Amino acid sequence: MAVAGSAIGLGNFLRFPVQAGQNGGGAFMIPYFISIILLGIPLMWIEWTIGRFGGGFGHGTAPGIFHNMWTKNRFIKYFGVIGIFGPLVIFIYYTYIESWTLAYAFFSLTEKYGQVAGQDTMVSLLKGFQGLEKNQFFSDMRYAYVFFLITFCVNTWIIYKGISGGIEKICKIALPVLFIFGVILAIRVLTLGAPDPLKPDWNILNGLGWLWNPDFSSLKDAKVWLAAAGQVLFTLSVGIGVILTYASYLKKTDDIVLSGLTAASTNEFAEVILGSSIIIPAAFAFFGPVDITNIAKSGAFNLGFVTMPLIFDKVSLGAFFGCLWFLLLFLAGITSSISLAQPAVTFLEDEFNISKKKAVIIFGAASFILCQPAIFFLKNGVVNELDFWGGTFCLVLFAAVEVILFGWIFGMEKAWEEIHHGADMKLPRVYKFIMKYITPLFLIFILIAWFYQQAIPILFMRGIEQSDKPYILGIRLMLLGIFFTLAVLVKIAWQKRKTKVKT
Amino acid sequence: MNTSGWLFLITSWGIIITLAVYCFSKVLSKK
Repeated sequence: MAVAGSAIGLGNFLRFPVQAGQNGGGAFMIPYFISIILLGIPLMWIEWTIGRFGGGFGHGTAPGIFHNMWTKNRFIKYFGVIGIFGPLVIFIYYTYIESWTLAYAFFSLTEKYGQVAGQDTMVSLLKGFQGLEKNQFFSDMRYAYVFFLITFCVNTWIIYKGISGGIEKICKIALPVLFIFGVILAIRVLTLGAPDPLKPDWNILNGLGWLWNPDFSSLKDAKVWLAAAGQVLFTLSVGIGVILTYASYLKKTDDIVLSGLTAASTNEFAEVILGSSIIIPAAFAFFGPVDITNIAKSGAFNLGFVTMPLIFDKVSLGAFFGCLWFLLLFLAGITSSISLAQPAVTFLEDEFNISKKKAVIIFGAASFILCQPAIFFLKNGVVNELDFWGGTFCLVLFAAVEVILFGWIFGMEKAWEEIHHGADMKLPRVYKFIMKYITPLFLIFILIAWFYQQAIPILFMRGIEQSDKPYILGIRLMLLGIFFTLAVLVKIAWQKRKTKVKT
Repeated sequence: MNTSGWLFLITSWGIIITLAVYCFSKVLSKK
């Protein structure tokens, strides 16, 4: 339940429609499904397996787990640092975005955006709220900061309560509620018909067609493959390091084949069935096929925070449905953000033998400070930068390290046996081949394609305003600082362990 | 939505729903 909660997040309801919108709808879905079969599901099983394997040695995070998988290599534990660094970086900006959903749920109830007409004015409201401009809606960031504080405190409190005492309990309540909200919203959207009688083609069925009519020409486009594979990693929470931590608490007799498949299918139900039935068809019916792509390309949050409130404004009981939409996002967000904190907290507990209370206090204080640039320098592109390194690059890199370690160093025969410990189901043998050859090749292809298409412009900050460059540079230094600190902590932990063994 | 769109949607949704229901029933039967 905790892993399903971790996987079901803002990625399902916000990121997925944006990625589909930016990549031509039907053109996106074929690479997306192929990526799930060849990348997402194998990685899910790999992470569950190595997480449980590491847990048997008393390690709940990647440095210790990797070390036990390749004991002869002194450096592999430092690759494991990515599995703590990545989720920590995502947590820094994710919590802030999550707080917007809580704020907008409040605005829906108080009808703050009820009088706003038109895309541009709604964008102004969002920008005013985020502190990007002063306007008639907001003169400062007070609201944004208060909602951030509430969200941050709720997150810290749940993390403090632990996996079984806090996270599992929250997921048991939040996930069914989230599904009920999702089904209500999907039914509302799917029964909208053609809202504008003058444009009968702008209807819900054509909106679904825009997403589901297959477009095979996209198979030749590397950019669409990159977007689809990135979305699959993000949505299933694989390549982050969170599943390793959760799986480390499992017993050898637990069925990880079933657990991995259950988490993946639950996530896909939320994404493909609910996620695709809300934003895309609604935006198509109200704004048409051209604008839907333009809106998706105009900003990552515009479909969720601009288009959806405008749509709810036009339907009866709009305030209620608007509140439901943003509460759904908040519940999806919180079940994920609490999981993102787990690797860092578990690392402190496992490797430094400190109590959960102390570990959560250290994590809370550090992450609170690290969140501040995301809040105050949003306009300078800081969140995009954090999302690129934490939520995109690290995912692919970490997944590549894991899969090579699993299939080639740990050994496929041993790995295959390890997966099936306690499992009722037997995996199709073809997955042995996929895990050993296809998944690593797929990840290497993504890394090479990324390097070829985007690495140079990103690394040299091409396309970034001159005035924003110092902020981006500052964030990169901060990220380097975090990574270096974590690597030093790993070194200290291993030195302490060595001294202990000697004495 | 054209015929292949319907086919694509029904197949994908069918597989996902079947898999989710099967997995949850197995998980619940194990408890």
